[in-house]
Amino acid sequence: MIDAIGNTNFVSGTSFSKVSVGNNIATNPSGGFDEVMKNVASTAVDTITKAETTAIAGISDKASIQQVVDQVMAAERTLQTAIAVRDKVVSAYQEISRMAI
Amino acid sequence: MDPLLSPARIAASGMSAQSERLLIISENIANARSTGNTPGANPYARKTISFTSEVDRASGVNLIKVSSYGVDRSPFKVELNPGSPAADQNGYVKLPNVNPLIEMADMRQANRIYQANLQIYKQSRELVSMTLDLMRT
Repeated sequence: MIDAIGNTNFVSGTSFSKVSVGNNIATNPSGGFDEVMKNVASTAVDTITKAETTAIAGISDKASIQQVVDQVMAAERTLQTAIAVRDKVVSAYQEISRMAI
Repeated sequence: MDPLLSPARIAASGMSAQSERLLIISENIANARSTGNTPGANPYARKTISFTSEVDRASGVNLIKVSSYGVDRSPFKVELNPGSPAADQNGYVKLPNVNPLIEMADMRQANRIYQANLQIYKQSRELVSMTLDLMRT
Protein backbone atom coordinates (compact mmCIF):
# COMPACT_ATOMS: atom_id res chain seq x y z
CA MET A 1 0.00 0.00 0.00
CA ILE A 2 2.85 2.37 0.81
CA ASP A 3 4.31 1.72 -2.64
CA ALA A 4 1.00 2.67 -4.16
CA ILE A 5 1.08 6.01 -2.34
CA GLY A 6 4.60 6.57 -3.59
CA ASN A 7 3.39 5.91 -7.11
CA THR A 8 0.63 8.47 -6.74
CA ASN A 9 3.23 11.04 -5.86
CA PHE A 10 5.38 9.96 -8.74
CA VAL A 11 2.56 10.33 -11.25
CA SER A 12 1.43 13.71 -9.94
CA GLY A 13 4.99 14.97 -9.76
CA THR A 14 5.88 14.10 -13.34
CA SER A 15 2.63 15.28 -14.86
CA PHE A 16 3.03 18.61 -13.10
CA SER A 17 6.58 19.02 -14.29
CA LYS A 18 5.31 18.77 -17.86
CA VAL A 19 2.74 21.49 -17.29
CA SER A 20 4.80 23.92 -15.25
CA VAL A 21 7.05 26.55 -16.81
CA GLY A 22 10.22 26.36 -14.76
CA ASN A 23 10.35 22.81 -13.51
CA ASN A 24 12.51 21.65 -10.68
CA ILE A 25 9.98 19.00 -9.78
CA ALA A 26 11.16 15.93 -11.60
CA THR A 27 14.44 16.03 -9.66
CA ASN A 28 13.28 13.63 -6.98
CA PRO A 29 9.72 12.63 -7.70
CA SER A 30 9.75 9.52 -5.53
CA GLY A 31 10.83 11.46 -2.47
CA GLY A 32 7.36 11.26 -0.98
CA PHE A 33 4.43 13.51 -0.26
CA ASP A 34 6.30 16.29 1.54
CA GLU A 35 8.92 16.38 -1.21
CA VAL A 36 6.30 16.79 -3.92
CA MET A 37 4.49 19.50 -1.99
CA LYS A 38 7.77 21.32 -1.39
CA ASN A 39 8.67 21.24 -5.07
CA VAL A 40 5.21 22.33 -6.16
CA ALA A 41 5.29 25.24 -3.72
CA SER A 42 8.80 26.38 -4.65
CA THR A 43 8.05 26.33 -8.39
CA ALA A 44 4.88 28.32 -7.83
CA VAL A 45 6.68 30.82 -5.62
CA ASP A 46 9.48 31.21 -8.22
CA THR A 47 7.04 31.93 -11.04
CA ILE A 48 4.97 34.33 -8.96
CA THR A 49 8.07 36.21 -7.80
CA LYS A 50 9.13 36.57 -11.44
CA ALA A 51 5.67 37.87 -12.34
CA GLU A 52 5.79 40.42 -9.52
CA THR A 53 9.21 41.65 -10.64
CA THR A 54 7.97 42.06 -14.21
CA ALA A 55 4.78 43.80 -13.05
CA ILE A 56 6.81 46.32 -11.05
CA ALA A 57 9.13 46.82 -14.05
CA GLY A 58 6.01 47.40 -16.15
CA ILE A 59 4.70 50.08 -13.79
CA SER A 60 8.03 51.91 -13.98
CA ASP A 61 7.90 51.66 -17.82
CA LYS A 62 10.80 49.19 -18.10
CA ALA A 63 8.78 46.23 -19.40
CA SER A 64 6.16 46.13 -22.14
CA ILE A 65 2.49 45.49 -21.36
CA GLN A 66 2.71 42.21 -23.26
CA GLN A 67 5.58 40.99 -21.09
CA VAL A 68 3.75 41.92 -17.90
CA VAL A 69 0.55 40.18 -19.02
CA ASP A 70 2.49 37.11 -20.15
CA GLN A 71 4.31 36.77 -16.82
CA VAL A 72 1.23 37.41 -14.71
CA MET A 73 -0.74 34.84 -16.72
CA ALA A 74 2.10 32.32 -16.29
CA ALA A 75 1.98 32.95 -12.53
CA GLU A 76 -1.79 32.47 -12.45
CA ARG A 77 -1.49 29.24 -14.45
CA THR A 78 1.25 27.88 -12.20
CA LEU A 79 -0.73 28.72 -9.08
CA GLN A 80 -3.83 27.02 -10.46
CA THR A 81 -1.81 23.92 -11.41
CA ALA A 82 -0.18 23.81 -8.00
CA ILE A 83 -3.52 24.11 -6.24
CA ALA A 84 -5.13 21.46 -8.43
CA VAL A 85 -2.26 19.02 -7.85
CA ARG A 86 -2.27 19.70 -4.11
CA ASP A 87 -6.04 19.11 -3.90
CA LYS A 88 -5.68 15.86 -5.82
CA VAL A 89 -2.84 14.55 -3.67
CA VAL A 90 -4.55 15.56 -0.44
CA SER A 91 -7.78 13.93 -1.50
CA ALA A 92 -5.89 10.75 -2.37
CA TYR A 93 -4.43 10.71 1.13
CA GLN A 94 -7.82 11.32 2.69
CA GLU A 95 -9.24 8.51 0.62
CA ILE A 96 -6.58 6.15 1.97
CA SER A 97 -7.00 7.31 5.56
CA ARG A 98 -10.74 6.66 5.35
CA MET A 99 -10.11 3.09 4.22
CA ALA A 100 -11.62 0.45 6.49
CA ILE A 101 -8.98 -1.65 8.17
CA MET B 1 8.34 23.61 -23.69
CA ASP B 2 4.70 22.69 -23.54
CA PRO B 3 3.04 23.04 -26.97
CA LEU B 4 0.00 24.65 -25.36
CA LEU B 5 2.06 27.27 -23.54
CA SER B 6 4.33 28.21 -26.47
CA PRO B 7 1.56 29.93 -28.49
CA ALA B 8 1.07 32.36 -25.61
CA ARG B 9 4.75 33.30 -25.72
CA ILE B 10 4.80 33.58 -29.51
CA ALA B 11 1.61 35.66 -29.53
CA ALA B 12 3.11 37.95 -26.88
CA SER B 13 6.18 38.52 -29.09
CA GLY B 14 3.87 39.17 -32.06
CA MET B 15 1.95 41.76 -30.08
CA SER B 16 5.19 43.46 -29.02
CA ALA B 17 6.32 43.59 -32.65
CA GLN B 18 3.04 45.07 -33.85
CA SER B 19 3.11 47.71 -31.15
CA GLU B 20 6.61 48.72 -32.32
CA ARG B 21 5.13 49.03 -35.78
CA LEU B 22 2.26 51.17 -34.49
CA LEU B 23 4.87 53.41 -32.84
CA ILE B 24 6.65 53.99 -36.16
CA ILE B 25 3.34 54.62 -37.95
CA SER B 26 2.27 57.17 -35.36
CA GLU B 27 5.62 58.95 -35.72
CA ASN B 28 5.10 59.10 -39.48
CA ILE B 29 1.56 60.45 -39.18
CA ALA B 30 2.52 63.00 -36.53
CA ASN B 31 5.38 64.28 -38.70
CA ALA B 32 3.42 64.27 -41.98
CA ARG B 33 3.97 68.06 -42.34
CA SER B 34 7.31 68.50 -40.54
CA THR B 35 9.63 70.58 -42.71
CA GLY B 36 13.27 71.50 -42.19
CA ASN B 37 14.32 74.73 -40.46
CA THR B 38 16.78 76.21 -42.92
CA PRO B 39 16.15 77.17 -46.58
CA GLY B 40 16.18 74.09 -48.80
CA ALA B 41 16.67 71.72 -45.85
CA ASN B 42 15.33 68.19 -46.04
CA PRO B 43 12.09 67.54 -44.16
CA TYR B 44 11.20 64.54 -41.99
CA ALA B 45 11.82 61.32 -43.92
CA ARG B 46 9.30 58.52 -43.52
CA LYS B 47 10.54 55.78 -41.17
CA THR B 48 10.15 52.10 -41.92
CA ILE B 49 10.42 49.01 -39.78
CA SER B 50 11.08 45.40 -40.74
CA PHE B 51 10.79 42.17 -38.80
CA THR B 52 12.56 38.86 -38.76
CA SER B 53 11.92 35.49 -37.25
CA GLU B 54 14.17 34.47 -34.37
CA VAL B 55 14.49 31.05 -32.73
CA ASP B 56 14.14 31.25 -28.97
CA ARG B 57 16.88 29.01 -27.59
CA ALA B 58 15.09 28.21 -24.34
CA SER B 59 11.91 26.88 -25.93
CA GLY B 60 12.92 26.21 -29.56
CA VAL B 61 10.02 28.19 -31.05
CA ASN B 62 10.15 30.93 -33.67
CA LEU B 63 9.51 34.34 -32.17
CA ILE B 64 9.30 37.61 -34.07
CA LYS B 65 11.78 40.39 -33.55
CA VAL B 66 12.46 43.81 -35.06
CA SER B 67 15.31 43.33 -37.56
CA SER B 68 15.88 46.94 -38.56
CA TYR B 69 14.55 50.46 -38.59
CA GLY B 70 14.98 52.20 -41.93
CA VAL B 71 14.30 55.46 -43.71
CA ASP B 72 12.16 55.71 -46.83
CA ARG B 73 14.41 57.07 -49.63
CA SER B 74 11.58 58.03 -52.00
CA PRO B 75 11.59 61.67 -53.22
CA PHE B 76 10.05 64.39 -51.07
CA LYS B 77 6.92 66.27 -52.09
CA VAL B 78 7.44 69.92 -53.08
CA GLU B 79 5.03 72.76 -52.40
CA LEU B 80 5.13 76.45 -53.28
CA ASN B 81 5.17 78.39 -50.00
CA PRO B 82 7.61 81.33 -50.13
CA GLY B 83 6.74 82.43 -46.56
CA SER B 84 8.07 79.27 -44.94
CA PRO B 85 11.53 79.33 -43.28
CA ALA B 86 12.33 76.13 -45.18
CA ALA B 87 11.58 77.63 -48.61
CA ASP B 88 14.48 77.63 -51.12
CA GLN B 89 15.35 80.62 -53.37
CA ASN B 90 12.43 79.79 -55.71
CA GLY B 91 9.94 79.64 -52.82
CA TYR B 92 9.50 75.86 -52.84
CA VAL B 93 9.31 73.88 -49.58
CA LYS B 94 10.18 70.21 -49.35
CA LEU B 95 7.51 68.19 -47.52
CA PRO B 96 7.89 64.69 -46.02
CA ASN B 97 7.33 61.66 -48.24
CA VAL B 98 4.59 60.45 -45.89
CA ASN B 99 1.35 59.37 -47.54
CA PRO B 100 -1.38 59.39 -44.88
CA LEU B 101 -3.41 56.84 -46.84
CA ILE B 102 -0.55 54.33 -46.80
CA GLU B 103 0.04 54.99 -43.11
CA MET B 104 -3.64 54.43 -42.31
CA ALA B 105 -3.65 51.15 -44.27
CA ASP B 106 -0.50 50.08 -42.43
CA MET B 107 -2.06 50.99 -39.11
CA ARG B 108 -5.17 48.95 -39.88
CA GLN B 109 -3.00 45.97 -40.76
CA ALA B 110 -0.93 46.27 -37.59
CA ASN B 111 -4.17 46.49 -35.62
CA ARG B 112 -5.60 43.37 -37.22
CA ILE B 113 -2.43 41.35 -36.68
CA TYR B 114 -2.36 42.49 -33.05
CA GLN B 115 -5.95 41.34 -32.61
CA ALA B 116 -5.18 37.99 -34.25
CA ASN B 117 -2.29 37.45 -31.82
CA LEU B 118 -4.52 38.42 -28.92
CA GLN B 119 -7.05 35.83 -30.06
CA ILE B 120 -4.35 33.15 -30.14
CA TYR B 121 -3.33 34.12 -26.62
CA LYS B 122 -6.94 33.83 -25.44
CA GLN B 123 -7.42 30.46 -27.10
CA SER B 124 -4.24 29.02 -25.65
CA ARG B 125 -5.15 30.28 -22.19
CA GLU B 126 -8.66 28.88 -22.42
CA LEU B 127 -7.45 25.44 -23.52
CA VAL B 128 -4.88 25.28 -20.71
CA SER B 129 -7.42 26.28 -18.09
CA MET B 130 -10.00 23.83 -19.45
CA THR B 131 -7.44 21.03 -19.24
CA LEU B 132 -6.49 22.03 -15.71
CA ASP B 133 -10.18 22.03 -14.76
CA LEU B 134 -10.20 18.29 -15.39
CA MET B 135 -8.20 17.90 -12.20
CA ARG B 136 -10.74 19.59 -9.98
CA THR B 137 -14.04 17.83 -9.73
